[in-house]
Amino acid sequence: MARRLYRRRPRISARRVGLYVLLIAVAALFIGPFLILLSSATKPASQDVFGFPPDLIPRPPVATWFREAWTTIPYARFLVNSVIYVGITVPVYLVISALTAYPLARIAFRGRGVFFMLFLSIMFLPGELMLIPRFLVMSQLGLTDTFASVILPAVLSSLGIFLLRQAFSQIPDEIVEAARMDGANEFAIFWRICLPIVAPTLAVLAILGFVSVWNSFIWPLVVLTSQSKFPIALGIAYLSGVAGTDVRGLAAGTVISLVPVIIVFLLLQKRILNSMGGAVKG
Amino acid sequence: MRGRVVGQHWYTPYAFMLPGLLFYAAMFAWPAVIAIQLAFSDYDIVHPVRFSGLDNFIQLGHDPRVWIALRNSLLFVLMFLPLTVVAPLFLAMLVNLRLRAIQAFRMLYYLPVVTSMVAVAVAWRYVFNREGVVNWLLGLFGTGPIDFLLDRHWALPTVVLLEAWKNAGLFMMIYLAGLQAVPSDQVEAATIDGANAWQRLLHVVVPSLRPTFAVTLVLSMLEAMRAFESVYVLTRGGPLDSTLTLGYYIWSKAFEDYDMGYASAVGLLLWAIMIVLAGFNLLVTRRRDV
Repeated sequence: MARRLYRRRPRISARRVGLYVLLIAVAALFIGPFLILLSSATKPASQDVFGFPPDLIPRPPVATWFREAWTTIPYARFLVNSVIYVGITVPVYLVISALTAYPLARIAFRGRGVFFMLFLSIMFLPGELMLIPRFLVMSQLGLTDTFASVILPAVLSSLGIFLLRQAFSQIPDEIVEAARMDGANEFAIFWRICLPIVAPTLAVLAILGFVSVWNSFIWPLVVLTSQSKFPIALGIAYLSGVAGTDVRGLAAGTVISLVPVIIVFLLLQKRILNSMGGAVKG
Repeated sequence: MRGRVVGQHWYTPYAFMLPGLLFYAAMFAWPAVIAIQLAFSDYDIVHPVRFSGLDNFIQLGHDPRVWIALRNSLLFVLMFLPLTVVAPLFLAMLVNLRLRAIQAFRMLYYLPVVTSMVAVAVAWRYVFNREGVVNWLLGLFGTGPIDFLLDRHWALPTVVLLEAWKNAGLFMMIYLAGLQAVPSDQVEAATIDGANAWQRLLHVVVPSLRPTFAVTLVLSMLEAMRAFESVYVLTRGGPLDSTLTLGYYIWSKAFEDYDMGYASAVGLLLWAIMIVLAGFNLLVTRRRDV
């Protein structure tokens, strides 16, 4: 609303044209590397990938390298694995974060602040520093090189608990009190009344969870040994080792790994972009 | 606080938090205890854990590579801060303009944030290759070519640039949220008083963004201190340890040399530095009116 009030009638001015030129130049900086990757992946064998001046338009574009990457590396397997990892991790993450955040927002009990600080302390235990001890915990539990070992550390995060606690505490008391009058128990209030109300926050967390699980690389590298369980990002690293010299196959494989996350981003970009400001301000 | 509510028992909050607490214990608390225990032990995966007192820390004091890693991590922070604390503010001001299709530009600038570090590093190899686009551009200015990732003077700045490029969109959105909270009447008042764009930025916008600067400064420092994935995929700490960061050193001691005890001791050092940095930032921002 406010934006519409302020927006001036579109007109062509030198300033406006200059701003667009600047915006496009900056955009080239951020998507250029991806375009160069795409161009390397679709150039025919007769055309150099590198060289001065850069020859970026494939003539004609070919799908050969995608086919090659797909057949030399078990790409389908890696993609399916990533879908499994995302498909299990994200729902479990949402349920556990919501269950944990709910009493922190809506039930008065002793030590509530202490528990909240406890869960926020996760922020100060970054995954990179937990690689070694978690690896040992997984071997103590007999879980190394299993799907569970990749999923378990990813189902709890301070951001999830923090944002959901905010969302739960903004639900008006009257709604909850009305349900209490009708004799609903606390879990029913949580599950049937409060959870649907915080659906927008859950959606944001689901997207952020998808992106982070899809891109996860270092922890799977440490805990997995069988290639058949690799997620896609680890598959790319593997491809760059196996096919180190095949610059086109590597480019094609990398493009394949980017497609799902870019599609999700394009479809849900408004939510993702808006969530960032909210997450930090909140 | 309210009295007992119908449908609630003393154990209700704990029952809700039970799964979260179990995961916290298994994936955060227990590993943290193990990390501390390992730092005072000898462990190579094959033999059982053996308590070794302060040996690891004594070794740490005599290990020249730790100091190289520490210096590289600090250099990383120094180069990273202007790229993530200052530059994204200008990006945010650019995408805060009221122009058609501005949302599309925000999206494009944000794209590297959602992609994996592995994919981004592969893309960068094509750009910063000896015969890649960057060296062609340098050639137009009569310099280069430079082997960015093979030259020990250029490797670290190149990794820093990659990290900053990948995270710029995130910092931009944080600033955008801050900018949209800047009171527009103050900006207008300054305009009426004859302040030009630069003066408005320095005297109105920047002061009111102070809380946002605090957030980005902490995020940026912690991100730079633990930089590791980018090093792993681009340079593996080389050439000649020129990109050996503390994070990478810990990984390579633990999972290449299987010297888990010593790696954990270096991990505690990094942990301590990060907590000090975060604590220092908290103190600085607390003193102000946040």
